[in-house]
Amino acid sequence: MTETLIATIVSGLLLGALYALMASGLSLVWTTLGVFNFAHGALMMLGAFVAWTVCEPMGLGLIPGIVAGVAASALAGIVIEYLVVRPFYGNRAMLLITVMTTLAAMIILESGAQIIWGARLKQLPPLLEGNVSIFGAVVSRHEALIIVIAPLVLLALWRFTVSTRVGRSLRAVGLNQDAAALIGINVPRAFSLAFGLSAGLAGLTGALLGSIRFITPSLGSEPLLKAMIVVIFGGLGSLGASAGAAFVIGMVEAFLVFSLGLYWTPSVLFVLLIVVLVFRPNGLFGRAGA
Amino acid sequence: MTRSRIALALIAVVALLAVPWVVTDAYTRHLFIIAFIYAMIASNWDLSLGYSGLFNFGHLAFFGVGVYTAAILARTVGISPWLAIPAGGVTAALAALIIAAPVARLQGIYVVLVTFAFGQLCLQLVLSQSQITGGAEGMVRIPYLQIGDYRFIRDYNLSYYYVALGLLGLSTAFLLTLVHSPFGKSLRAVRDNPDYAASRGISVARQRTLALMLSAIFTGVAGGFYAIYLRVASPDVFGFATLSLALSMVLIGGVGSILGPIFAAIALTFINETMAGIRGMEDARFIVVAVAMILVLRLLPGGTKDMLDRLMPKHRTRKLETKEGG
Repeated sequence: MTETLIATIVSGLLLGALYALMASGLSLVWTTLGVFNFAHGALMMLGAFVAWTVCEPMGLGLIPGIVAGVAASALAGIVIEYLVVRPFYGNRAMLLITVMTTLAAMIILESGAQIIWGARLKQLPPLLEGNVSIFGAVVSRHEALIIVIAPLVLLALWRFTVSTRVGRSLRAVGLNQDAAALIGINVPRAFSLAFGLSAGLAGLTGALLGSIRFITPSLGSEPLLKAMIVVIFGGLGSLGASAGAAFVIGMVEAFLVFSLGLYWTPSVLFVLLIVVLVFRPNGLFGRAGA
Repeated sequence: MTRSRIALALIAVVALLAVPWVVTDAYTRHLFIIAFIYAMIASNWDLSLGYSGLFNFGHLAFFGVGVYTAAILARTVGISPWLAIPAGGVTAALAALIIAAPVARLQGIYVVLVTFAFGQLCLQLVLSQSQITGGAEGMVRIPYLQIGDYRFIRDYNLSYYYVALGLLGLSTAFLLTLVHSPFGKSLRAVRDNPDYAASRGISVARQRTLALMLSAIFTGVAGGFYAIYLRVASPDVFGFATLSLALSMVLIGGVGSILGPIFAAIALTFINETMAGIRGMEDARFIVVAVAMILVLRLLPGGTKDMLDRLMPKHRTRKLETKEGG
């Protein structure tokens, strides 16, 4: 019994870690630019495919693969910002327009991946081979590593936005673009940086996920959906709330899968979401958003 | 409507009625039927997106609910396809009621997220409940329409063409009546200035709920007809490809118009199906549609972007009685 309980908690932690990595990227772009990036899941998929290409056909190994995946996603993020987000700054309908243009960017990335890599299932080797036993529950070392890496990455991101000059400039831009420009912050560069950083995080998530799941052009859809549920629950306003909500959702999902099975979990999760929203329209943690 | 516009509308209706007598091959008629279905999706979507200013990105879920309702009722339960088609409209309106519960009270990006998540969860539900829905393979061999001994699948799509055109006509009459009624005006009031509308006694939450439900009715009927006509129900209807195609129809046809998306839907269906027929374009055509969507948003500042501008509330000087864009 305790072993099942621990296994469920570990699986909740793993889901929470993945959702937190995804949701924090979405939140970073939202707080800096006021844009919700629908291509975030597709950027994650791109990271996984590039990591696989460098690791398997090119045979350069997993670590260079992950680095290349992160770099490719970050670059793609910067390009997306430049091509389909930047032209609409200052437009009153920017929120709605960028939803549509990033949706279009997602379709371009997914269809492009379908053309380049095809539909055949691919998988990355794990970072660490073998299993590890946590209080009697057996998990793969790779999954355990993700549970450890994710909070460290999030902590680093949080330190970056709080205590470095560049990170603080991102927050300044998010609070007031005009005032930020007046004190000498390069606003367009801050936008590129936020998008690149967020996309790099997505690429890292994808490369890590590529060892657990099969890599397909739609690899990012389901995690994006879960990250959306996370940010609806926690609000997009702060990294802490997004990360907290990610672990809450991950844990709830793990226990739902354990008690109801895989099939009913998405529906129950969504019903829970609707119930929470009816009673708390600003999300579980009560932060007013948009 | 001016006299010339009435004349133009009459000419369009007569021309569409005459098409099957000029076009006799089943494939071209099929393209028209698919175009009419997309025209219903796009024009009804604009009731919630354009007229009510609801950032609804789950509209295709209503279509999918209609598809699977008709498929399950006609194939599994065994009721007449003639009843299964309108049943799709009923369940789609119920789905809209569910999604309206949170959406009526949310704002901005959170409306986008909840409606979008709803569409994706419908997809996951269909995929996971495979003993009912057929899962990823979908459902096939759905019963077709027939009157007495006359089978609709034997006349090169002639009768299906008129059923589709009839449904589109009903849907369009329904939408035009709605947007020109006092109810339609109250929707635009809620869109343009929710605070002022509320102060004049219009319930924002109630109008949004009604707008979502009314926009779902004929979308669900279109879904029901789609399932019966193609005799297939596939989870693809919830996919991003269908979503982006329908969205580009609304954008190109003009947000805040009923007739615009209908014309755009007919044109885009023919372009899209032509691309699907070219070898090597099966996947690339989605990229073409997506690029076209971005280009429309970037290059048509006078039309679409102004229209999108109007969806944003809090324009104090705007008159509520703006001229119709249709």
